[in-house]
Amino acid sequence: MIKKVKKLVKDFGLGELRTGLKVTGKEFLNNNITVQFPEERTPISPRFRGLHALRRYPNGEERCIACKLCEAVCPANAITIDSEMREDGTRRTTQYDIDLFKCIFCGFCEEACPVDAIVETHIFDYAFESREGSIIDKKGLLAIGDENEKEISKARLEDSKYK
Amino acid sequence: MSEIEFEIDGKLVFANQGDSIISIADREGIDVPRFCYHKKLSVAANCRMCLVDVEGVPKAQPACSTPVANGMKIHTRNDKAKSAQKAVMEFLLINHPLDCPICDQGGECELQDVAMEYGTDVSKFNLGKRIVADKGIGALIQTDMTRCIHCTRCVRFGAEVAGIVEMGGTGRGEGVKIEPFLTEGIQSELSGNMIDVCPVGALTSKPFRYEARTWQMNAVETIARHDLIGSNIYTQTYRGKVKRVVARDNELVNETWISDRDRFSYEGLNHESRALHPKIKKNNKWQEASWEVALDFAISGLKKNAQNPNQLGVLASKNSTLEEYYLMQKLARSFGSENIDYRLDKADLSIGSSMLSNISLSEMESIDHALIVNSYLRLEQPMINHRIRKATLNGASVNTINNKKFDFNYRTNLEVLSSPQKTVLMLQSVLKSLHDKTKTPAPKHLSKITVDDSQNKIADDLITAERPVIVIGEHVNSNISSSDIMNIISEIATLANAKIANLSHSGNSLSAEKVGFKPSNKGKNATSMLSENTKAFLLMDVDLNYDFINPKLAADTFNKDDVFVVSLNSFEDEASQINSDVILPLASFYESSGTHINFDGIAQSFSASVKGPGDSKPGWKIIKVLADLFEFKGFEYTDSTQVADDALAITSIGNNDIVDKNTKAIDDSKIAIHWQYSPYAVDGVTRKAKSLQETPIGKMNAAFISLVTAKELKLSGGDLFHGVPVSINETVADGCVFVHTYQSRKG
Repeated sequence: MIKKVKKLVKDFGLGELRTGLKVTGKEFLNNNITVQFPEERTPISPRFRGLHALRRYPNGEERCIACKLCEAVCPANAITIDSEMREDGTRRTTQYDIDLFKCIFCGFCEEACPVDAIVETHIFDYAFESREGSIIDKKGLLAIGDENEKEISKARLEDSKYK
Repeated sequence: MSEIEFEIDGKLVFANQGDSIISIADREGIDVPRFCYHKKLSVAANCRMCLVDVEGVPKAQPACSTPVANGMKIHTRNDKAKSAQKAVMEFLLINHPLDCPICDQGGECELQDVAMEYGTDVSKFNLGKRIVADKGIGALIQTDMTRCIHCTRCVRFGAEVAGIVEMGGTGRGEGVKIEPFLTEGIQSELSGNMIDVCPVGALTSKPFRYEARTWQMNAVETIARHDLIGSNIYTQTYRGKVKRVVARDNELVNETWISDRDRFSYEGLNHESRALHPKIKKNNKWQEASWEVALDFAISGLKKNAQNPNQLGVLASKNSTLEEYYLMQKLARSFGSENIDYRLDKADLSIGSSMLSNISLSEMESIDHALIVNSYLRLEQPMINHRIRKATLNGASVNTINNKKFDFNYRTNLEVLSSPQKTVLMLQSVLKSLHDKTKTPAPKHLSKITVDDSQNKIADDLITAERPVIVIGEHVNSNISSSDIMNIISEIATLANAKIANLSHSGNSLSAEKVGFKPSNKGKNATSMLSENTKAFLLMDVDLNYDFINPKLAADTFNKDDVFVVSLNSFEDEASQINSDVILPLASFYESSGTHINFDGIAQSFSASVKGPGDSKPGWKIIKVLADLFEFKGFEYTDSTQVADDALAITSIGNNDIVDKNTKAIDDSKIAIHWQYSPYAVDGVTRKAKSLQETPIGKMNAAFISLVTAKELKLSGGDLFHGVPVSINETVADGCVFVHTYQSRKG
């Protein structure tokens, strides 16, 4: 009996509406948390695993030595490498392809790399215009690395104390 | 050999007196880490990795050099053994570089494996690491001596197995280096085995450098068919290409070793001159065609040109498979032609090389005397030579009768020089001397033969030996009186109670013999086919420049307008284009399944490691389809093993050749030319293997003439003899020019 009366009072006194408006009113005065992507971006952990890149040493020499450990460790078989002896006698890749449709962004390649050549950047907003576009070759990966080197090295530095 | 009883890791085991701990541990499946110990090499005990704890002995003992004794209690994994092993590992890793990611040994490295178990992750040493400058040691082996851990396996291999001491340790202590003594590179024909024995990445395969990682490749068990041994190998393939060849253990055949020819010839498979598509010649212009068109063209051409079955000639090289030989001769015989031959390089075809060997490979090891006739055995049959070398280490003596003195890797007692045309006479003298010594009546035709000291000595050595063997090598093939030589040798062998090893065969020619791939019932042999009225030819893997004893005659015949030539070939070069009318691309070594019959008569079958490039097809399939198109019966095969079963079921092929016991008179006033191909020019694939051709053996190119003969021929050092530089040399018999070269014979 008492339950019924309580419900009637709440219903006719617009109780639900007032509860809802209370939240609205509170948020109306609070700071805005929505970001306007892509003009604005949320902060990202230095360990974020996004699009891949191949890095170079400061003198411009590519880091990758074609050891193929990333290829071996990749659980999705997304990496394909071919190697050769370059004219100066060093071990280099002639082909380094990553199929981003296969890639599961686990970061094992980055972990396996003995020379920090293959890394995963903070880039996550990319698109392909064709099916073949999902495969990034060595040239493309190096270009991504060159473009984002500052950010990449900053992230590695930040994370280095926990390694 | 008394049996002794001892305990290893708590397990009671038995062994013979003198066995080392490590050999018993290996037998029992107990893993003892090691670097310098190798089952086929002497014990050096210098790496100290195999230290184990023997109860009652205060210090840990090296398992490789400690013999077992009665009642011994050995622990390979207790604290004392483990700490000793870990300490050794720590020492080894002081100087070893951490370049595993770029090291070709990475993934199959003994040091890497052992370091995973016994190494620590942090080094206590922060001083600089030792760096060793590399000296190049040739085209086959890549050195990175900074990685060397001084196990001396390569040094011992050179001294004990290859028989040429080429690598050695110089310097002391920290400064010790393993390096070659000579600067011109490694000379041995077995040098590639150093790569296999090296436990680290100090010696790796140069042609394979940075090609693929070891874990990416598929290893396929197969057989090498460059020589009579049929060495057991693994072809390691990656993305449909053979990337490397390594040895496979087979105590009966090749033990643990393989020759460089078997190891590095695979490079030729990827040569740019590979035949990739069927091609036909219409109106003197080559055009690519589909298999259907090319086969129809071939069939109609053969039918048109060989209206009488006797006008068809079928020739094959010495490197085809048993299945290919079997089907090819069956095809020819179904066609009605007996003109079948594989003996393209023999000067004397009057005997069907009827002489068989009657000694096995393992018996070769226990001989006490060898007479080597007409052979540079070390380069021709490296693994058979290795067996004889083993015998010489146990005291066997060796005499040779050759037209030049050769470098054997063992000591020879007597090296008798004899030009090709005088070899018969030389052997007759030996035979006569044997008759005198055994007091048996010599046949009449020997009565005028004179005997000198060296021939007496050869005969003496044969009689006094208990287990002598007479080895006949490849040089006999180009001798026009080779049948006489074979006859006399078998007589000598009977008198001296010696065994015979007929090594004038090579490649897979014993398979050809098995299936009767030679003319019978008055068929024409290789030479008469070329000179007589043969209008259509079917060639199996034949290289027109190299395979014939008289390449000019072959080229002239094939080049005639009214001769139709169908060539099944893995390669197409200028010669094959000029001389043939149809080229059918043939799958080469390791690209087709097949069977090889070796010196011991063991038929070893193998499957294809990779698919042939382009449109090339395995030989047995091409021949089967040709036969189907001819509508012959009996070619209903779906698998090469069915062909092999049929081929091996053949018991004996009648040999209709009449053996002429009368020796032919030879004009010995003429100067004989002996054109011998270098061992790396014996077949198409090997000839196209780039790295092999860059070795000292591959670059062999000299016409050896003695001073007397040179004067007669008006030649001096440096002149060209048929395109080959002349070398005046006193180790060559008078009256002959011994040409040892990779170049094809011209004229």
